[in-house]
Amino acid sequence: MRLRTARALAGAYLILFLIGTTWPGVLVASRIHPFVLGLPFSFFWYAAWIAFSLPVLYLLDRVERRYRDQRDGGQDR
Amino acid sequence: MTRWVMVTVIIGIYLVANLVIGLMAGRRSSKSVTGFVAADRNFGLLIMYFVTGATIFSSFAFLGAPGWAYSRGAAAFYILAYGVLGMVPLYWMGPRIAALGRRLGHVTQAQLISGRFPSRTLSALIAAVSVAAFIPYITLQIEGAGIVINSVTDGHIPLWLGGLLAYGIVVIYVLVSGVSAVGWTNTFQGVFMVVIAWALGIYLPFHLYGGIGPMFERIAQARPELLIPPGLTSTGTHWGWGAFSSYILISVVGFLMWPHLFMKAYTAKDDDTLRRTVILFPTFQFFLIPILLIGFSGVLFPQAPADPDSILPFLILRTQLPSLVVGLFCAGALAASMSTGDALLHASASILVEDGIAPFARMSDRARRRLMRWLVLVTGAVAYWLAQTNTSSLVQLLASAYGIIAQLAPAVFAALYWRRATTAGVLSGLVAGMLTTELFRLYPAFAPFGIHEGILGLIVQIPVLVAVSLLTRPQRQEHLDAFFPAGSAQTR
Repeated sequence: MRLRTARALAGAYLILFLIGTTWPGVLVASRIHPFVLGLPFSFFWYAAWIAFSLPVLYLLDRVERRYRDQRDGGQDR
Repeated sequence: MTRWVMVTVIIGIYLVANLVIGLMAGRRSSKSVTGFVAADRNFGLLIMYFVTGATIFSSFAFLGAPGWAYSRGAAAFYILAYGVLGMVPLYWMGPRIAALGRRLGHVTQAQLISGRFPSRTLSALIAAVSVAAFIPYITLQIEGAGIVINSVTDGHIPLWLGGLLAYGIVVIYVLVSGVSAVGWTNTFQGVFMVVIAWALGIYLPFHLYGGIGPMFERIAQARPELLIPPGLTSTGTHWGWGAFSSYILISVVGFLMWPHLFMKAYTAKDDDTLRRTVILFPTFQFFLIPILLIGFSGVLFPQAPADPDSILPFLILRTQLPSLVVGLFCAGALAASMSTGDALLHASASILVEDGIAPFARMSDRARRRLMRWLVLVTGAVAYWLAQTNTSSLVQLLASAYGIIAQLAPAVFAALYWRRATTAGVLSGLVAGMLTTELFRLYPAFAPFGIHEGILGLIVQIPVLVAVSLLTRPQRQEHLDAFFPAGSAQTR
């Protein structure tokens, strides 16, 4: 994946994270049922945004790192 | 052996372990300001991970956050929302800040801002604001430590003594070892916090309700309003969406601007360490989930504590846990308090000297380091004294601190990313933003939709910063070249 694409996708995830956890985005999750993993839906919703940020950031880092290695072996060290 | 004696012994062992780790830590770092403030820029990934995590989660995590879930329900989800979003900008900003720090010798946030925008007024203003925000914060940590020790020893150790013991140790190790002590003790304390939080967060719902799902089923029947965002206010009425959303937003903006956290960018060994700290941060943030489960497990408990913030010690003392577990819980809660308190204490002394005093008086490296040590003692004493007096107004002060601290964000972004910004623009923007924030804090009734005063401050600050910068003369090219080295334009 190109660096620009990776940054755009990670950025999009983070913006959706913010919209999804504040008004008005959170309105879709402002409910108790269905329960997921024993948590009310609203609680699960917040936990899930944190959980998914882990793979998103990991993949972003992989692309960023490959790009930095290509660029000249870590000029910004 | 009675329970409180057993618990006291465990706390004693825990505190001594902290002292030993803290004192050992400083032996390898150099006797310079960079050694004391930035650990010779030599923290590895393990330490950075725990320093950032344990510094962020204070005694608020063990007392305040369960208290919110218990009394205000879904309002507490706001605490889950902002951490990751607030942390991510460090992935790109961190290496920039660290590189400038290495090249230009910065160890504090104000040095970055006033290095790009030369003004002693600006430097002193940032120092004053940071320390004003820190003192109530440290005071609350000391109070938290006192409350925890007092309650688990059934009142045998008074509040003043508990706070004095825990923070006496913090002052000693920060004084001797500087930020290296903060790093190593936070690693120890961070492990404690996370393990205890998960253990209790799973144990209490199972012990009281037979599981996490059954617990929420029962809450959904008895108190459904607690499970639907934006939850309740502290008085039990419905909280507004404007307040809920703007609390998240201001916390995202203000998150990295807390100087004790920002300054840790200078301590990392290399850029990869900093970046990985950010990538791994969501795993630390997860620790809030069991913390909120603890709070929810108190909702249908037959008795209620006098103050929602003490729900966790209240539950622990009433669920027949073995003394060993009570002692370990106490150590975990102390860890949360001390791991933030030490970073705050250390940062306030460093900032007072580097940004408040050094720009106005020529001082040697050695004199600065010696003065910092004195100020660790003085700041600790002031905060301890405040903790013993009536502090209801301090909570109020701290609530506004986030709004004020967030006002530093435009200045930091302008310093790093906007060549056209000028000293006059940043200074006038900062003053305008702070005055607006303070105005709406004093007269919250005027804030539209209950929006957090810090957001309103930013709404005023950003146009002022931009407009005044554009109206004043741009900075000289040679000056800018130091901050925007060739090739940096393409990374941003």
